[in-house]
Amino acid sequence: MFEIRDLHVKVGRTPILKGINLSINPGEVHAIMGPNGSGKSTLAKVIAGHPDYEVTKGEIIYEINFKKVNILDLEPEERAREGIFMAFQYPVEIPGVNTSVFLRAAFNEICKHQGAEEMDPIDFDEYLRKKMEFLEMDDKFITRPVNVDFSGGEKKRNEILQMAVLNPRISVLDETDSGLDIDSMRIVADGVNKLKNKENAILLITHYQRLLNHIVPDFVHILRHGRIIRSEGKELALEVEEKGYDWLS
Amino acid sequence: MIRDLEKITKSLSNEESPSWFSDLRAQGFSRFNELGIPTVKDEEWKYTSLLALAKHAFDIAKAGQCAEAEALKNYRSDKDINIVFINGLLSEEFSDFNNIPIGITVSTIRDAMISNAPQIREQLTKYAISDDTAFIALNQAVHDASIYVQIDEKASCNKLIHIIHVTSPGHKNLAVMPRTLIAAGRSSETTILESHIAFSDTFTYFTNALTDIFLSENATLHYCKSQKESLKAFHIGHTRVWQDRDSNFDGFSFMAGSKLTRNDLDITLNGEGANTTLNALYSVYNDQHVDNHTSVDHRVPNCTSNQLYKGILNNRARAVFNGKVFVQPIAQKTSSYQLNKNLLLGTDCRIDTKPQLEIFADDVKCTHGATIGQLAKDEMFYLQTRCIPKKAATRMLAHGFVNDLFSTIKNTAIREKLDRLMEPSFEALQ
Repeated sequence: MFEIRDLHVKVGRTPILKGINLSINPGEVHAIMGPNGSGKSTLAKVIAGHPDYEVTKGEIIYEINFKKVNILDLEPEERAREGIFMAFQYPVEIPGVNTSVFLRAAFNEICKHQGAEEMDPIDFDEYLRKKMEFLEMDDKFITRPVNVDFSGGEKKRNEILQMAVLNPRISVLDETDSGLDIDSMRIVADGVNKLKNKENAILLITHYQRLLNHIVPDFVHILRHGRIIRSEGKELALEVEEKGYDWLS
Repeated sequence: MIRDLEKITKSLSNEESPSWFSDLRAQGFSRFNELGIPTVKDEEWKYTSLLALAKHAFDIAKAGQCAEAEALKNYRSDKDINIVFINGLLSEEFSDFNNIPIGITVSTIRDAMISNAPQIREQLTKYAISDDTAFIALNQAVHDASIYVQIDEKASCNKLIHIIHVTSPGHKNLAVMPRTLIAAGRSSETTILESHIAFSDTFTYFTNALTDIFLSENATLHYCKSQKESLKAFHIGHTRVWQDRDSNFDGFSFMAGSKLTRNDLDITLNGEGANTTLNALYSVYNDQHVDNHTSVDHRVPNCTSNQLYKGILNNRARAVFNGKVFVQPIAQKTSSYQLNKNLLLGTDCRIDTKPQLEIFADDVKCTHGATIGQLAKDEMFYLQTRCIPKKAATRMLAHGFVNDLFSTIKNTAIREKLDRLMEPSFEALQ
């Protein structure tokens, strides 16, 4: 469903990713771990389509309507409408833009794209409340401007709420666990687990193993110096937690 | 610039008006002739050239008919108390003179001079015409669309009083000179919206508006001036506010129309404990030019003034902000805040902004500043990753830029009207 092939990426003149290969099927959970500066967040941003990153080689193949498409040719919003979602490491504050207005606009873009009828504010409110309920979120999340004056944990929960509303086929969660206390982590992880199913896939990008106790991956990949240097099952994460990254070559 | 100005000034000073009133017109006429139209050599007009205005010859309106009656009916609401001028002439048909609540008097200045001469005279002669106010002199000479709103002591009105100045095509190169006097009595509270509007963008005319507001002790006035003139029109407007002790002026200016706008707002804080708020939004695109000047004069101690002027500029639009705050030597414990924020969306737009403070007292709290920025790239990317395309994201962020400002307008009827008036400039965003 989703395949990264020999991906090389530069920021300015600096090469960050030097040939990433990764294949993800529906229903799978993949984790990418790696030390600081290994290129984890770059990978997430390139998948989402951030304009500051230059892809010098390779492609990202994604299945849209049973056709394989290189998403590097698509604008960020086109990727998003096709079901590619990224939860930000640092969710952006947008003053003056009400969260529920924003979410409805995003949701209706997908409706439009799929040729479905757009949802009116009343129906959307009901839809949104159901999603909020299972993420244990209260009204303040949607009555306030997007992420403004949210705590770190609230911002991350808001990302998962957006994931729930947009119902993506592949979700890239970029350090969703960073800055979370243990309770917030549980809520976020429970949310992700509830959203997980046979049709969708999740790519977790994390620095720490602890998130993987809550969201259990099928595969763990170690990213170092812009390359995936090892891919194994979930046990690899524990090993890294114990020994660090240096023993891997 | 105005055809037959002298003749018109004289004909307006007929036998019915008191001699002091005719003298005011004559004085305005001669002062305007002396001063002439300001040029960019004048410091107050440095960034706003009036050459395009000066080359036209305008006629003072003589008949008022609205060609877009439906649009006018849509803009006015039956829930409000409407006072409507069409091309400078009072329209009985669209106004609600039979519906004025107890405690509020609305009449033409001409009628008010008969019933309330001493007060009107005092108010019309409160300010001397200084050197930089040629357009005030011009208005004084030939104002026609003149209305007087008096709010009695302790009166309060839940309904919005909406004074609408609509200009409609039909006559070529009209000049309209609205003159509004608002006197809010002790401990009264009212909300007034003054709209300068056209329902067509394709005809040239000139509005030269003057509004004077007097707030007695402890009076509160929520006042909004909204301007959405034709995109070929010239709008020059001056609002002066005189505040007595403990009074509260809650002001908002909205400027979205006309080819060239100059909007002056002068506040005189003349009684201790007075508060004043001057918020504004200007939103311009293509070749529009909007110039806002404010002046807040803290003459006594313990007053506060808060101003936030926000602008959105697109395409080749230009804007000017000049805000002066004076704190006189005795005005200790003054608290004053002034900020001008600009969002530049076009590649060729330009803002000249100049917040100014002149403080002659030593125990005061005053801040001022200006910002000029573009849409934040990270906000744009965030919205795009949430399926929202660039154009819609731009609009959403521009709305976000004004939302906190609009939320300071407590009256929902005003907010709804401004939202509608603002829509065309948002539609133009790419």
